[in-house]
Amino acid sequence: MSAARTAAPVLRRGRTGTRVKAAVLVVLALAAGVAGLVAGPAVTTADVAEVFAGGGDPLARHIVLNLRLPRALVALTAGACLALAGLVLQSALRNPLAGPEVTGVTPGAVLGAVTATGLGLAGWQSPTAVVVAACLGGCAGAGLLWLLAGRERGDPEQTAVHGVLVSAVLTGATAVVLLIAPGELGSVVQWLVGSTEGRVWRHWELLWPWALCWGAAAWLLAGPLTLLRCGDEQAAALGLDIGRARAAALACAVALTAGAVSAVGALGFVGLLVPHVALAVFGADLRATLPGAALLGAVVVGGADAGAQLLSRALAQALDADRLTVPVGALTTCAGAALLLIVARRRADLR
Amino acid sequence: MDHREPGAVVAEGLRFGYPGREVLRGVDLRIGAGELVALVGLNGCGKSTFLRLAAGLLRPDAGRVLLDGEEVARLSRRGAARRVALLHQSAPPVPGLTVRQLVRQGRYAARGPLGMLRDGDDAVSARALADAGVADWAGRPVDALSGGERQRVRLAMALAQDTRILLLDEPTTYLDLRHQLEVLQTVVRLRAERGLTVVMVVHDLNHAARFADRIVALRDGRVAADGKPAAIVTPALLAEVLGVEGRVAPDERGGWPVCYPDHPLGVASHLRNENHIH
Repeated sequence: MSAARTAAPVLRRGRTGTRVKAAVLVVLALAAGVAGLVAGPAVTTADVAEVFAGGGDPLARHIVLNLRLPRALVALTAGACLALAGLVLQSALRNPLAGPEVTGVTPGAVLGAVTATGLGLAGWQSPTAVVVAACLGGCAGAGLLWLLAGRERGDPEQTAVHGVLVSAVLTGATAVVLLIAPGELGSVVQWLVGSTEGRVWRHWELLWPWALCWGAAAWLLAGPLTLLRCGDEQAAALGLDIGRARAAALACAVALTAGAVSAVGALGFVGLLVPHVALAVFGADLRATLPGAALLGAVVVGGADAGAQLLSRALAQALDADRLTVPVGALTTCAGAALLLIVARRRADLR
Repeated sequence: MDHREPGAVVAEGLRFGYPGREVLRGVDLRIGAGELVALVGLNGCGKSTFLRLAAGLLRPDAGRVLLDGEEVARLSRRGAARRVALLHQSAPPVPGLTVRQLVRQGRYAARGPLGMLRDGDDAVSARALADAGVADWAGRPVDALSGGERQRVRLAMALAQDTRILLLDEPTTYLDLRHQLEVLQTVVRLRAERGLTVVMVVHDLNHAARFADRIVALRDGRVAADGKPAAIVTPALLAEVLGVEGRVAPDERGGWPVCYPDHPLGVASHLRNENHIH
């Protein structure tokens, strides 16, 4: 406490600290990306290095440059989007439990994409249509929550309850659609859990401009979001048009989630938990924490992608299976659930 | 009194109600620049509602509030926040924000949404921190402060809005006596130094009588009494506005009226605890 007496040096130290943390995360994100490139089967680390040096045989070149590289990039970007969306939602709704998956956005996006696929309007051959359908579905899910929550919108607990309800309904609707029009059930189910399998350059080309645009929008909302975290009355008295600010934040979160979900499916817990870690690491100044959360999300999903590939390889060897893939979503959900338990226990202890 | 002068607050025929409950039933009030006015009255008499209307956070059903001669309901949210700062009775905690970061939020209206992205050493925030006496804690997290300290930080945030008009909604509620006096004396000092117009809701009539230039008592959504403390703080005011029977005597040293509330009106005499009355 006595160190905090002299405020200016503390703040300056805080800023350098932020830079160091951000640099560490950038390195980690790069490491996660590289790990994603070398973790899969059939191509060794040496082969990957050779490909990037400009050599390698045609098959290795194809696998690394056309399959693994876009996959790793999509995983990193989608992770960043999900984490950003989660932090924006949690700030705008002043609800630590708000995450893309409990606010109707993710299940809505899943329903949108599954419906479009079921109706034959979109398929894995046409990523553009899937992205559009998922985005529309995400907006519809968020809109449904908005309508249901009614007057209690500002109330964090009520919003969480309604969010869980909306999510349950939309998930049920998705199941119904899948029963009526199973389509390519295998790929759809993998997508429900969240997977980075088979992502190609087309996905990346669609994802990055979207992510960049909405990520920048999220960062520009840092000021209003900080005010929303202070409570509606306070924010309004300080000059914020809370209705408009919240609508802008929600639009931003919906767009980011829909982009991520349409690229990699419904990855569990990333959008819910990464913001908490980001706030703990970077503090409450959202100008630093929003980019920090994006980096953390990239590290988490990029790392999970690499981990899933390693796990698939190990399992395939152990079980002597020909081809076995563990979806990334399975990994993030398990890790996320464990982390949530730890956090809940710790908070209970603090009380 | 010139009602267009900067810092003047004028309410004209102000009416406001929630469905099924009328809160303000026609309030006319002229508060000059630089006045320190205490609003008193029973719970639910419309004091806080008046402040919210004056800050432009609620729209009146009828009548209007003029700040510096401009109707507050016609101002944009940001335009209103540049003219008037309102300190709410309480605010939800914001985990992780430091004192400096919270006080900086007061600059939102002045700098605009993108201005929040610049950091810079904002002289106005620094002055607000110093004026509220919280500069020493600037780097500390707000959650780590006591209730009284937090209230002064929130006062600093309101000061950072750098407005001529400051509205305080029960600034001393939840505070111990020492912190109550600290906050009120800070307000009095700032009023003198900055020439602020201050309208504050206070529950303690003795605080109102001691620190305010003028007391406005509300009852059932109307102004029941309005004047200098020495003129209007009387047993009649205690009875009619606050619903208590009591005595009033001038303070030995300061001369301001001091109330001694004895018991609530309308309570049968055998229920009164006469031991406390000598």
